Amino acid sequence: MEISKRCVGCGQCAAFCPKEAIIVKGIAFITADCIQCRICMAYCPMKAIEESV
Amino acid sequence: MRVLVIGSGLGGLLSAACLLRAGHEVDVFERLPITGGRFTNIEYKGFQLSTGALHMIPHGPTGPLGTLLRYLGSDVQIVRADPMATIRTPIEKDSTDYTHGFQDIDFHDFGKRFSLLNKIKLTVLITTTRIFPPKKGSMADWCSKNLKDDWALRIADSFCGWALSLRAKDVPAAEVFEIIENMYRYSGSGIPLGGCKGVIDTLIDVITSCGGKIHTSSEVSRIIIEDKKAVGIVTDDGKEHRGDIVISDIGHIETSRLYDANMATEDMEKYLTSIKELKPSAGVKICLSSNEPLIGHAGVLLTPYARRINGINEVTNIDPSLAPPGKHLTMAHQCVEWENLNRLKDEIDLGLSDLAEIFAGKDYEVLLIQSYSGEWPVNRASSGTDPTNKTPFEGLYIVGDGAKGKGGIEVDGIALGVRNAIKDILNQKNQSID
Repeated sequence: MEISKRCVGCGQCAAFCPKEAIIVKGIAFITADCIQCRICMAYCPMKAIEESV
Repeated sequence: MRVLVIGSGLGGLLSAACLLRAGHEVDVFERLPITGGRFTNIEYKGFQLSTGALHMIPHGPTGPLGTLLRYLGSDVQIVRADPMATIRTPIEKDSTDYTHGFQDIDFHDFGKRFSLLNKIKLTVLITTTRIFPPKKGSMADWCSKNLKDDWALRIADSFCGWALSLRAKDVPAAEVFEIIENMYRYSGSGIPLGGCKGVIDTLIDVITSCGGKIHTSSEVSRIIIEDKKAVGIVTDDGKEHRGDIVISDIGHIETSRLYDANMATEDMEKYLTSIKELKPSAGVKICLSSNEPLIGHAGVLLTPYARRINGINEVTNIDPSLAPPGKHLTMAHQCVEWENLNRLKDEIDLGLSDLAEIFAGKDYEVLLIQSYSGEWPVNRASSGTDPTNKTPFEGLYIVGDGAKGKGGIEVDGIALGVRNAIKDILNQKNQSID
């Protein structure tokens, strides 16, 4: 998953990530624990999470 | 009458419940899989954190929101915080930080720290400003003109930062005095049991028991306007929903992107120009976990001598269920000035070092750092700048934190705004609220 510039850092994605793979400080960061399950995408209020190409 | 609500934040759900109670048919459309917008809980490491707000209702059970919830039949319990607020002050009189120790004073005693002259001035000002509230200038202007005291400005900044996520220089003095008037009227803050979601769950119960429908994961892509009147919406699956009233809980600016703004009339241009000037307020919330209480009460701890943190609350002193057994949940808020948004990480670091000083010698862990700005802000319209609930189109209303009522802090402002919008809608149908 990739975080776009639209991210404001609200951390909503981190709470729904089943792998605790998101760290937030001003903006979200996806760590190596990400399993590409895409759950975070649905919960992002800013549509700031995109699938990695 | 059929009502379509865009967004299931607090404003949207309150509006839906009000109109269902008045006997109308209501459908709520929510883009996300969850309801509640920035006023609900998210579970994180066993803690009930929130999507935005700090599990607190500024004017407690008797304020605008508490009153509206009771009227709607919500059975959420809102417990008044006692003390309402304490203020952390440096122990040494000339010190401007907490590094050499501190003491907490009750909010009502803030006048005791002024010089004798300012104490006398304050007594006079408290009476005169209630009769003649200032009409012009910011709260910071008012403080430097009337009190010329570092303490006054620090208290104003800390209070405005905590309650409105704004610096005192960015809040009209008139708005602050309206808020103070509301504090006399409604008294201080309260914690809803179950946190923000405690409120949202009871509202959803009210809505579904009255036959209202909430559609989650259903984004509205367009508002249908015919003859300068809102007559329906289109959802992202291409489906058209017709109705008599459209209520939008996503603010004036975001709503304007859902209709064709080229239908140029003079009213429309004037409206679009005025809403372009709206500045959403920005802020950072730092959530802490601890075994021992860090504050010891559920009111706000104002921190006027911190660099960035404005205030902190510890809601588990009233509702322990918001944290795992034996743990406390403490949330600190700091306002972020617009010009500092491009260096947000540095602002957060300043907040974190403030907390290290404020809670020196205490054991705590940082759970999650949440920041809010732009299109997912603290308030879509910063306090004192809210437009009305109306738009240039008949049948299209705006509610939520982009159209709060005057003098209303945060969610109490949302309740005041909803009340104004619903009054107007029902008036057109010769119905009334209350």
